[in-house]
Amino acid sequence: MATVTTEGTVGLGLRRVSASKSPDQNIKKSDQLAILVDISSCIGCKGCEAACSQWHDLKPPLFAEEKVFTGYQSGPGLAPSLFMFMRFQEAETEKGLTWFITKYQCMHCSDPGCLKACPSPGAVIQYSNGIVDFDHSKCIGCKFCLSGCPFDVPRYDANNKPWKCNFCVDRVSAGLEPMCVKTCPTNALHFGTKEEMLIRANQLLQGLKKRGFDKAVIYDPPGVGGTGYIYLLPHGDKPEMYGLPKEASISPLISLWKGPVKLIGSVVLWGTLLGAFLQLILFGPIKVGKKHKKEE
Amino acid sequence: MEDVKNLEEVEVERFSAFDRFVHWLTAIPFVYLFLSGLGMYSPKFAWLLPFLGGREFSAWLHKWAGVVFTIGVLLMFLRWAKDFVLDSDDRIWLANVKYYLKGEEEKLPEAGKYNAGQKLFGWMVFIGGAVFLITGVVMWFPETFSTTFVRLAILLHEITFVVVGAGFIVHLYMGTVGVPGSLSSMITGKVSALWAASHHPKWFREVMRK
Repeated sequence: MATVTTEGTVGLGLRRVSASKSPDQNIKKSDQLAILVDISSCIGCKGCEAACSQWHDLKPPLFAEEKVFTGYQSGPGLAPSLFMFMRFQEAETEKGLTWFITKYQCMHCSDPGCLKACPSPGAVIQYSNGIVDFDHSKCIGCKFCLSGCPFDVPRYDANNKPWKCNFCVDRVSAGLEPMCVKTCPTNALHFGTKEEMLIRANQLLQGLKKRGFDKAVIYDPPGVGGTGYIYLLPHGDKPEMYGLPKEASISPLISLWKGPVKLIGSVVLWGTLLGAFLQLILFGPIKVGKKHKKEE
Repeated sequence: MEDVKNLEEVEVERFSAFDRFVHWLTAIPFVYLFLSGLGMYSPKFAWLLPFLGGREFSAWLHKWAGVVFTIGVLLMFLRWAKDFVLDSDDRIWLANVKYYLKGEEEKLPEAGKYNAGQKLFGWMVFIGGAVFLITGVVMWFPETFSTTFVRLAILLHEITFVVVGAGFIVHLYMGTVGVPGSLSSMITGKVSALWAASHHPKWFREVMRK
């Protein structure tokens, strides 16, 4: 039984809850949702970035250009008040000068590292539709989610609470598409079930390959069980140029401290307690004077 | 028998006021660190945190308790490190620790002011304290360090917690129920001569010579 539920029987069901057992999935089932980012159709207008801040009522920090050179980017990266940003990088490829554009935000991993690393029951939740969200009322501010995340996404604010893209869970629950998708003027963003998005991505991929992008790939890293954001990368051989890790997965160090270390720790600590108790009942306290009495 | 009675009445100073202060300066934060750490280490003990002032508060105070604990450990190190050097007798003592647990101390090499077990726990605290400090600072400011480094720090912090935690359970048991008379030595600073003579004969003779 999970220790945490949200919205009773009306709202979205939960699939995973941090530091708790997963709730039973048999009552409410939902399709896994996904956003497909077709980089080949993106013109880099940053409309999604503006729409995101508008919908979430955020005032992202303004960067003085002389302080940090960020080129065409709005700023150096994610911030507590900036859930997504457009990342731009230029490089020479066999196709000449290439502009690598990515929409960067929480990837909504199927197996979220933040959720795995979180020690506070219910502070990180994954809804049955796959959206990963934070519950600040249960967050203790330990920042373990930063270590869990393979994509370096969560950002802590002055209240010591993490922020990130929540896939517009409020809009999605009301049957609307996420704000970024709604805004995109070139249809570079597609929203639907993961299944549908993969089919669409494959069709687009075939088209790209016909146009000579033989190295194009669909980015849906299996190391984290696939993601809620999938990307169609024209230069699939260089995901790092898009700011995406080549092989994203939860660090084995985290699996180590969440698995074997916990198990060994339980055995050692309970064993020590038991050992002390056994010493007490089998031999008794180590008292003074025993030696002297024996000598009498 | 006459002799034994007299020894029971004579009091010997074991811990000075400074010793006792340093011990509790370290011990009180440690208890808080242990319990709040347990609540964060294992979700099964997350219920402890509300009793320690709240879940968010205890995670916050854990860090500052750690700062006080570090000061305590540093003072302890300066005070006791030279006394905790293990000698060849201590190695024999540790190899035959079963006699100690059975209450047959006479079969072991005579202990000085500290027996080998106490010395070993001292080193667990010194080394553990250093690891807790370094990894704790990394975990406190994870944005300043590389992610891999932070992940490694959390792992080391947890492993150290298991080791020092086990040592603490033994220390707590031995200091209260396991060896009667130990707790009052850390409160009043004094032990009976009999206690000293039977648990720490080598030290007792040194004290008597003075």
